[in-house]
Amino acid sequence: MFSFFLIPAFTSKNDHLTFYATLFQKLWLNRLAHFTFATVLHKAKPYFLFLVFGFIVHWTQAQQCNLTLRGKIIHLENGEPIEAASILIMENRSGAVSDPNGNFVIRDLCPGTYTIKVQYLGHKEILQTLQLTGNTLNQTFRMEEESLDLGGVEVHGHRDAVQTTTAVTSLYGEALLQARGESLGESLKRVAGVTTFSTGNTIAKPVIHGMHSNRIMILNNGIRLEGQQWGAEHAPEIDPFLADEITVIKGAETVRFGPEAMGGVILVNPPSLPTSKKHLTELHLIGGTNGQMGNISASHEGGSDKIKGLGYRVQASAKRAGFVKSPNYYQANTGMAEYNFSTALGYSSGDLGIESYYSFFNTEIGILRDAHTGNLSDLEEIIRNGEPFNKPDFSYEISNPKQQVNHHLAKLKAHYHLNPSWKLNLQYGFQLNNRKEYDRRRGDLNARPSLDLELFTNTLELFLDHNLKSNWSGSFGFNLIQQANSNIPGTGVTPLIPNYNMLNGGVYWMEKYLKGPLELEAGVRYDYRKVDAARFVGNELQEASLDYQNFSAFIGGLYQLSPYFSFSSNLGSAWRPPNVNELFSQGLHHGAAAVEIGDANLLSEKSLKWVNGLEFEKDKVLIEFTGYLNQIQNYIYLNPTGETYVSLRGTFNVYEYLQANALFYGVDLSGSYAFSERINAYAKGSIIRARNTDMDNYFPFIPSDRMDWGLSYSFGKKDNPNSHQFTFSNQLVARQKREPDFDLAPAPPSYALINLAYQKKIQLAKNQLNVGVQVNNLLNTEYKEYMNRFRYFTDDMGRNILIKLNYQF
Amino acid sequence: MKNYTKLPLYLFAALTLGFVSCESEDPEKENEGEVITDVILNFQELDGSNNPVGSTFSFKASDSQGIEIGGSPTIETINLIKGKKYSMTIQVLNTIEGEDITKEILEEADEHQFFFLGSAFTNNILSIVYADDNGINLGVKTRLTVSSSPGTNNTSMRVVLRHDLDKNFPGATNPNFANFIQAGGETDLDITFPIVLN
Repeated sequence: MFSFFLIPAFTSKNDHLTFYATLFQKLWLNRLAHFTFATVLHKAKPYFLFLVFGFIVHWTQAQQCNLTLRGKIIHLENGEPIEAASILIMENRSGAVSDPNGNFVIRDLCPGTYTIKVQYLGHKEILQTLQLTGNTLNQTFRMEEESLDLGGVEVHGHRDAVQTTTAVTSLYGEALLQARGESLGESLKRVAGVTTFSTGNTIAKPVIHGMHSNRIMILNNGIRLEGQQWGAEHAPEIDPFLADEITVIKGAETVRFGPEAMGGVILVNPPSLPTSKKHLTELHLIGGTNGQMGNISASHEGGSDKIKGLGYRVQASAKRAGFVKSPNYYQANTGMAEYNFSTALGYSSGDLGIESYYSFFNTEIGILRDAHTGNLSDLEEIIRNGEPFNKPDFSYEISNPKQQVNHHLAKLKAHYHLNPSWKLNLQYGFQLNNRKEYDRRRGDLNARPSLDLELFTNTLELFLDHNLKSNWSGSFGFNLIQQANSNIPGTGVTPLIPNYNMLNGGVYWMEKYLKGPLELEAGVRYDYRKVDAARFVGNELQEASLDYQNFSAFIGGLYQLSPYFSFSSNLGSAWRPPNVNELFSQGLHHGAAAVEIGDANLLSEKSLKWVNGLEFEKDKVLIEFTGYLNQIQNYIYLNPTGETYVSLRGTFNVYEYLQANALFYGVDLSGSYAFSERINAYAKGSIIRARNTDMDNYFPFIPSDRMDWGLSYSFGKKDNPNSHQFTFSNQLVARQKREPDFDLAPAPPSYALINLAYQKKIQLAKNQLNVGVQVNNLLNTEYKEYMNRFRYFTDDMGRNILIKLNYQF
Repeated sequence: MKNYTKLPLYLFAALTLGFVSCESEDPEKENEGEVITDVILNFQELDGSNNPVGSTFSFKASDSQGIEIGGSPTIETINLIKGKKYSMTIQVLNTIEGEDITKEILEEADEHQFFFLGSAFTNNILSIVYADDNGINLGVKTRLTVSSSPGTNNTSMRVVLRHDLDKNFPGATNPNFANFIQAGGETDLDITFPIVLN
């Protein structure tokens, strides 16, 4: 037997567990201070495979009754997934509840005939007899809405969950609760394979498998967020409090979402609107010691009593923080203020659903004073110093250099069920982004922004979904993006990027086939993009008219290998036209003491990403593995020319935008193990390699190897142990040894951080109060993160104690 | 129910109209408000009791395009006479805008300061003191003494203008303060003038 080759012979199951427990200790717990993730992984590689296979082989063969019933619960009339439907096997009273994507799994079934009962409020009950003989049965249940108009019956809220064969991870519920108070980028660090590219401790951009900015896409309630995402110091303009679920898709999803989704997609989804008379108010109150941060969010949602199917929500949040404290000093001018608001109104009846949504994001962020350098020798001097020269006392004041950003997003969405199998969708989004960046300047100019951009974006999507009884489902449609960017005159600086108009049109078609343990999908897309740009440099008018077109396609599959083990693979092509800053940049970048020069002749980037996933889940164990390979043609990057530019102000490095072929590959691994009802352990980590295959060197700002492990102990009452929980976690980040040929400073050393968390759930009558205390960087460790651009200037954030209250009533 | 069925169609029509109406603004010429194109050092010889002798003469460093586009600056060589004392005033101009930036520097004297470095000072060929009005250490006006026996006839002076610094930083009262970066702020000017002594 396979298992005998891999694992020492075990006489009983207990031996087996002890073996894994000691192995786990060996791998994750016995660390010394000088340890890096890479060394562990190196040592652990054979053990690790061994561990995974050991589990699989052993358990699958140890059980006689090892059949699995897998399935999906969807609405009969529109094919949308139903969350929280109950699935019950009448014979042995075992059951499951469907997840947000409508999926469920019931395991450990013996061969035989079963009666399955599927129930969901407001829908006709399904009773079905199934024969379980083979390995796994995959069954889709379509629930029909109850036609009787019963008082108080809940009508479903419509929600489009992502259904893809590529790697998907969501943050919701408790995990999201723990991330409250953090920016979107910071929150997403909880997902294996996602890191941040940050500028200080207040600006964080999510990085998926080494890609960020215009190579990933962020959707705010289904609308692609269009801000000035090209800039490294431009954080996504989105309030994380508006989401009740944040989903990360790690594959190339150009076909579904349009160009630029080459590295991945982040979906920030608010909860579905209530469709019946029920009211829910939720309050979040968060305080942090570092920066003396205060954060409040409130939301209220309800349904109409008079008009059935009419629901609304209003939500607002505010955040204020002062200077961030590194272990030994305050970082000057690193305060921030954020005020956000969102509202939604929706109507849903049998065939028709309409939703309107508006969100407003407003932030003012101070930029570390010393990061704004005058010339190269200023920059070199501060790098040599290792920390800022300017170390003031704590203050909430935000002065220049700073950013002020406003973002309005309005959405209108409608769907109409033509018949039970076909659904027509129309979605329109309007966005207005205004970004003002202030530098330290003389006289009246100090009060004027040196960058003042106004970006209008219209997006229109029309698509037809089908869900045929013959196991086929899919979608085809077209979408249109129209964008107008203007520099608001009066900055006293030649604009960094020109004024431009952009129009992008795309058509796509994708299909999915589901049968038994197999799920297959494929899709194609064609896009056309036109960009017209113009600006004055001095007295000279520069104009350019460019167009790009491209095909992209994907194919993917998911196969249930055994009851506890599934395998998925997805191969997708993607493209990204060069962005305006890459085409037309010409000017001084203060933080980097660099003159950056664009190239109007750049070609589109084309990528081919292959993502493979393995998932193993059985009572106590959960293991998720993602391996990927991303080959990119014409990858655009900012390359130091090695030349310097001399002016009256001093010397500057000159950078230019170049293209090269690139290869990105890596693995993400996450797993958890329940030692008992009360003790849980988890570990997750990621490794990324990114090479410039033309020049045979490395790209800058690629996340180093990292992992995170932790133990939690639940000490609530026996019937609900998780109501009271203590978590210890340890974050290990290796030094980036694969550095580019040129960098202003070498990569900072590896570091380890210890975090603690305590959480208590208190039931007050019918209401829920969640109290959380978190201590981040418990030991106040001095460290610098390679992916933080301000590592040149300052240590990262020191100890931060957060208190989080959440009340739902 | 019937009246809803055509709603998506109406919506679609309305939105397509809205779509076309959004265009970017025509670009406008941006006046470079902050660029320094010319730095002029004006010298006036002084006698033993600091009274002016003869007429003033000046040397210029210029970069007509400012910083954004390119072209390296032209810097004139300063000619001074051994053993003499001079009053030096610095004039900073933006010729693109026809603006005298010196005025702004004087207005924000509490945020600006010139420092004078280079071999001329480290080799004790020149010595310099701040001589600004109102006794503030700024450096727009200074008094410069040339050694009578410098040992060499060729030297250089680096003129640095710092903005947004802590003027009370220990050592910052010295016009030759080499660690000016530690006082915080950023560099607005950093020019090295060659000097020939006669």
